Amino acid sequence: MKLSTEARKVLDSCMRMNKVSNAEREEIERVVDSMPDDRVLLYKNVVSNPIGDLPRYDIHVRLQHMLTFVTFLTLAFTGLPIAFLDHFWAEPLNNLVGGVDVSRIIHRTLASVMIFSMIYHLFYLFAISVKDILRGRFEVQRSLIPTFKDIRDFKDDMLYHAGQRSQRPEMDKFMYKQKIHYFAAAFGNLVMIISGSSFLFPEFWAAILPADSVSYFQEMMRLSHPHEALLALLVIAFWHWYNVHLAPGRFPMQWTFLTGKITREHQIEEHFLEYLRNLVEIPAEREYLLDIEDARELSGVYEDKYIDEKQGRNLDQGEQA
Amino acid sequence: MAIQTCIKYFLMLLFIMLNSQTQTFAFVDDEGCLLCHKYPKMGRITEDGARRSYYVMPHVFGSTVHRNVPCKDCHSYIKELPHREVDTGVTCNSECHSVKNPATGKNFSHQVIYDKYIESAHGRKKKAEGHDKDKPYCVTCHTNPIYDPNEEDGPPPEITQRCVVCHEDEAFVNTWYKHTSRRIKEVKRSPKEVMELCSSCHGDKRLIDRHLDAAIEEGRELGEKYAHAAESYKQSFHGKVVKYGSKGAASCLDCHVDNNNYYLNVHDIRPSRDPLSSVHKDNVTFTCQRCHTHADDNYAQLDPHPTPTSESENNDFRYYANLIYGWIGDIVLVLLIGLATFETIGRRRDGIGWRLKKGSSWWRKSKRGRDRIK
Repeated sequence: MKLSTEARKVLDSCMRMNKVSNAEREEIERVVDSMPDDRVLLYKNVVSNPIGDLPRYDIHVRLQHMLTFVTFLTLAFTGLPIAFLDHFWAEPLNNLVGGVDVSRIIHRTLASVMIFSMIYHLFYLFAISVKDILRGRFEVQRSLIPTFKDIRDFKDDMLYHAGQRSQRPEMDKFMYKQKIHYFAAAFGNLVMIISGSSFLFPEFWAAILPADSVSYFQEMMRLSHPHEALLALLVIAFWHWYNVHLAPGRFPMQWTFLTGKITREHQIEEHFLEYLRNLVEIPAEREYLLDIEDARELSGVYEDKYIDEKQGRNLDQGEQA
Repeated sequence: MAIQTCIKYFLMLLFIMLNSQTQTFAFVDDEGCLLCHKYPKMGRITEDGARRSYYVMPHVFGSTVHRNVPCKDCHSYIKELPHREVDTGVTCNSECHSVKNPATGKNFSHQVIYDKYIESAHGRKKKAEGHDKDKPYCVTCHTNPIYDPNEEDGPPPEITQRCVVCHEDEAFVNTWYKHTSRRIKEVKRSPKEVMELCSSCHGDKRLIDRHLDAAIEEGRELGEKYAHAAESYKQSFHGKVVKYGSKGAASCLDCHVDNNNYYLNVHDIRPSRDPLSSVHKDNVTFTCQRCHTHADDNYAQLDPHPTPTSESENNDFRYYANLIYGWIGDIVLVLLIGLATFETIGRRRDGIGWRLKKGSSWWRKSKRGRDRIK
């Protein structure tokens, strides 16, 4: 496979950062060369372990996710019956957790655990970033920071889903959907903390805000807390759970949040640039790839029409004709 | 074993039931009122078509707080038997000739509290006409309470034994003890009961509209929150937790009553434009501070009666903020569900199956060629 300029840059910088020997470099290049140009054939033909093959999240990320998701759901469970008390389901649900005097205490306790999880996450981000920068391994495109490439990826991905492009874009460790979701959750978390604190400490907010805006602020927070909660819950239920549970290939569950590992086919399909790094960092993965290519005679698949991504559209139109 | 336990508890229950006879007070009918009023069918149909019962149940009345007051002390307009048609009926500020105020030796009367009430926003005469008729009279909030039979387990002997040394009549001591101890106990309505009581008028849309119209007609001023006092309270956080039975949150009376002497001033609720009102703009900060210790003047700006979001009048900010929030939520959801559907269609077309089978999810036939090599 002839790598695109972007992929080549990622591969080269990864080899440089890992200080790979010349012999190893040759081997990696051989593996990359042997990959079929149609990346689709690659991820369609590898064999994946459902609970994951390649490392993705360390224990801290998994713990933060676990803390956030358990507290998020229980917060919604104790909070929504208070916010939507006019609805028929509210009172039985509230009685289930012991009435409002109990559920308020549970709600606040869980909220502090969720805030702890946020602080833990911020410290963790700071620590790994500093570590990577000091070791000269920090890469913006590998992080969660949004880049212009994400907009291009989004456009290309839409074209692929519409059948106008033969390949999904080559995306990094975090694709555009994950970045949107991450920042939506971060923003929502902030809104919930500020509005929640304005219920718990109304005197504090009244004291620090200008007199004219106090009432508007409180009204806004009273509206924000349930609206944001409901929005977050629906986004989780309809989008996040779709992406990790219901989407084809992920059903019934993507195990990454427990095992920290991603399946091989998923990595190649949606995080190809990260897969290139895996090839550099995990020698066994190189061996595996060569074996499967041999077994399935994939290396030989070499067709000019797949070389240039930009020609993808012509390819599909040609096929239809 | 279980059956034995059941039988044991059943027998215990039976024993308790047979032993607990509700003590009824002797109701002495010296005036002969029961001659007629003892008959359950004693009643009439009024000119408005309402059925009125004049039946007095002696054993029930004998358990009420007014059991020692002879009928004619309140029904003082009755001069002969059989009596004439009743016009005004009982007013609560009349004097009881048979019960003396032990402090002053004068006839007992509710006049003091009645005077407070008459001055308040709720004050009305017994015979009121027009819109005053919608206001509550004493009996709207105060029934003639029946003693709770659970309270009737006489007072603790270690206390009364000391009393009977001088006050030899044990019955008198017991009655006096109950009379006093009952008034030391907290007898306020719970916040939820207060909310229900106040809402019975302030949540009555037809009554409210009637008064709003009348105020406009007469050029009178009404409170800013008058139109939706009950509804907006129920939507506030105080209202929500009170609805769920919390005892800690503020009910109507916790803010609208001067807590200097709660039991007296609860009869003196005034509109917020009255400088004597606890929710008047000069007093409201102190009122908030009763619970929110650190409340300052800024804090008093917060609205405990937020206009319901369903109405745009008076509160455009809240109405449109709510509307925009709703729209953002709907749009985001439609976009995300749309994206998920679009993605599913795109990847399914290229041959992905739902589940991972034998190490791959791409076991279906793609419409675009390049299938998994078997």
